[in-house]
Amino acid sequence: MTTGEKDYATEIIEQRWISKKTFEIRLRRPETFNFRPGQRISLKYENFERDYSLASSPDETHLTLCIRHVEGGQLSRVLGDAAKGARFSFCGPHGYFTFKPSQRPAVLVASGTGIAPFRSMVRSGLTPEFLLHGVATSAELYYAEELKAASGTYIPCLSQPSKSQTHFAGRVTDYLPRHLPPANYDFYLCGRREMIRDVTLLVDELFEESFIYTETFY
Amino acid sequence: MKIYTGTGDKGKTSLFSGERVSKASDRIEAYGDLDELNSVLGALIAHLPSDRSDLVGELQQIQADMFVIGAWLATTANSPAAGSLAPIEVKQIVFLENAIDRLDDLLPDLKNFILPGGHISAAWAHVARSICRRTERHAVLVLEESDDEETAKELTRALIYLNRLSDYLFVLARECNRLHGLSDIPWKKS
Repeated sequence: MTTGEKDYATEIIEQRWISKKTFEIRLRRPETFNFRPGQRISLKYENFERDYSLASSPDETHLTLCIRHVEGGQLSRVLGDAAKGARFSFCGPHGYFTFKPSQRPAVLVASGTGIAPFRSMVRSGLTPEFLLHGVATSAELYYAEELKAASGTYIPCLSQPSKSQTHFAGRVTDYLPRHLPPANYDFYLCGRREMIRDVTLLVDELFEESFIYTETFY
Repeated sequence: MKIYTGTGDKGKTSLFSGERVSKASDRIEAYGDLDELNSVLGALIAHLPSDRSDLVGELQQIQADMFVIGAWLATTANSPAAGSLAPIEVKQIVFLENAIDRLDDLLPDLKNFILPGGHISAAWAHVARSICRRTERHAVLVLEESDDEETAKELTRALIYLNRLSDYLFVLARECNRLHGLSDIPWKKS
């Protein structure tokens, strides 16, 4: 619920396409705005409002959003076309999808731009035991290099792999039962509803005493 | 936006603290009761006189408090997730106690047991009161399983809150009858 919340004014510092369908925008960070890695903001433009997870760390001077261009999507179209200096407002931070330290190894699972909150966590110093990124093709592995450097095991999963690529061919739900050693984990799932449902049911079956935290992108 | 997740299709659900648990567990019973209570408060609000925005505001504040209590019921002891939760504050309990005293001052002294009912708003208040009592009973089970101080402290406050809330709903039921010119229906031994 955003009613009665403080609105922050911001503007675009930089906008760049990081794949054919995905772009990143950097927003000026208001001085008084703070957040925890994994949280979201509600970006507003005219009558539109949409939640986006922050992909930057709280230590950075700007706010980064990683946005998939949605055909017919009102705000993603505006943002995709927005020029440097374009003004917006936002409120937040929202959400509880933050890292909860425990004795169990952390398995971070993202589909598509669901990688955003994990990038924020990793840039804030988190080194997860496993970080899976499910996308269609290797062209969508936009943060591969920095995530690979930060995570114990960074595993891109490609649902439409080309013949020459060396990444895991299949969805995250194909990878987990085949390659994740039996144990109890803390699963953090972010992205499409279908991925979250399928991984949750799989965890119930194969990693029964594990914990699950989710953030669904609609 | 599709609101269904499909993650509960096999009888389990996720707690706020991350565990996957059976939907038949005491904890789920407790916050399920709380959800039911909140819905019934909505029905009660819908039947209040349109000029009593003060009572509507009071009940909506209580509805908001239900979410805070629900989050604690959905968080297991020693969970790092507890760090994200708003505390249940003494002032929320005092708010109820003041409201009980204020309503009670408006009502004639009670000399008999009364039958739940009367005006439809009073009837809903009694339904809410009895669900509140059930919520309290299930919340006691959750508290008994909590072995860390912080969670136990919050759940204890939740229990006090629920206990006061059922008293509030009792006097509110009587006030709803009074507002509509109806007397409480005394219990008569048959």
